[in-house]
Order: sequence, then C-alpha cells, then structure tokens
Amino acid sequence: MTNAAELQASLEAQLKGEIMRMYQEVGDHPDREFHFYHGREAAEMFGYPQEWLDRAPSGAVASFAGVGNPLERGNLRSGETVLDLGSGAGLDAIIASRQVGPTGKVIGIDMNPAMCLKAKANADAGGTAMECREGRMEQIPLPDASVDVIISNGVINLSFHKRRVVQEMFRVLKPGGRMSITDIVSAKQLSQSIVNDPKLWAS
Amino acid sequence: MFRLLEESGFEEVRSAVVPNFRFRKSSTQHAAEAYGVKAVMMTAMKPASA
Repeated sequence: MTNAAELQASLEAQLKGEIMRMYQEVGDHPDREFHFYHGREAAEMFGYPQEWLDRAPSGAVASFAGVGNPLERGNLRSGETVLDLGSGAGLDAIIASRQVGPTGKVIGIDMNPAMCLKAKANADAGGTAMECREGRMEQIPLPDASVDVIISNGVINLSFHKRRVVQEMFRVLKPGGRMSITDIVSAKQLSQSIVNDPKLWAS
Repeated sequence: MFRLLEESGFEEVRSAVVPNFRFRKSSTQHAAEAYGVKAVMMTAMKPASA
C-alpha cells in the first residue's frame, strides 16, 4: 500500500470511529448539548409536524440528529418498501413505517449495531415495524432493485466515497423508484486541515 | 451531490435549501458560512427503464 493509500485508510478508520462515537453519544445522552441542534428542537426547526412527533416514541425524538425533513417530499404510499440510509435512533424510519402501513416495509441501515438496536427498540416502543441492518452505505446490504424509496438525513456527507454511495442507491432502487434526502453540502472545497481532521469531518 | 446523482443515472434531480438549518455553536456556524455550507433537500428518480 502506498503512503497516500495508507493515510486515506487511516483517516477513514478514524472518521468511522468518530462518527460512531458522536452519534452514539446523541443516542445515549440526548440531554447533552452538541454543536448541532438535535432532538425535538431540531425536528420542529425542520418542520416535522407536531402530530408526527407526538406519536413517535420519545427516545427516537430525543435522539434525532438530522439536518432537515426528507419525508416532506418523500410522498410515501401504502405498501411501499423504504430504505432509511443511516437510520440512527430511528425517528424517520418510524414515521415512514406509519406512512407505508402494515403492507409496507421499512429497512434501516446503520454502520453502528448499537444504533440499530436502539432504533429497533424505539420502533417496538412505538408499536411500529422496522427492520434494521448493520451495514455501510458504500455497500448497502440489499439486493438489486429491491426498494421503492430511499430516504436519508444528514448521512451521505460523512462518506469519503459519495459517488460509490450514490451508485449503491441507484442499484438497490427499483426502476421508477425515487429518493428523498436531506444532507449537508459545501459551496467551497473544504481545506485539507478539515478533511484530515475526523472530528471536524464528522461534524 | 447534484452532479453525482445525474452522472449515476438519476433523473428529475431537484434540490432546495433547508431554510432553517444552522449549527448551535456560533463558532461552527461561522466556519460553515465561510465554506458556504448549507443543508439541502434533494429528490431524484431512477428511470423506469433502468
């Protein structure tokens, strides 16, 4: 492996660790303050209807760490299969599960198995069905053309391999399937000091 | 992201800024503004023929 490749691999490993640590902390200690808004305050800021939040399990609402509302334009329909890429504590997946109903299916993917357990527990507490699989968005553990809709909230920006993520999204969507995501973008190239700092990148 | 979606075969790619997004910490918000960081909503469709 070349020095550049070794550096890249090292950065990616550090980034993965930092992301897992940060979002696990939001999940385990939602009462703490973070540099981003989270919980009900953030969801209300992004326009989640009160009714959605009132019906969702308090644990899922408290640990919400999204950057917008991907369900606003998702137009989910009864019976659809939905993939939530980076499902975290599960709020979006749980709301989606209510929207697609008992004939539909919601699958969350998260690289942190502890967050999958948390999302599943939150879904169970709210009386909704969701499946959560440990996996990476660069290698989605689903067959080709298997989902109708992909939602994601503030996750894709965390990947060093965004093209690969988008290709995987295309692969798992059925023909005619759609995606509705919210995420962070920057108009300018981030400085090397930010790119090389997993704590800042994870932010 | 917009370009990546189109290059990967998605159609009807649309984006809009999430109007109320901001960071809690002012230092982070200022740094984000310096780089033109914003939250966006994106929708797109995989062609029915794909």
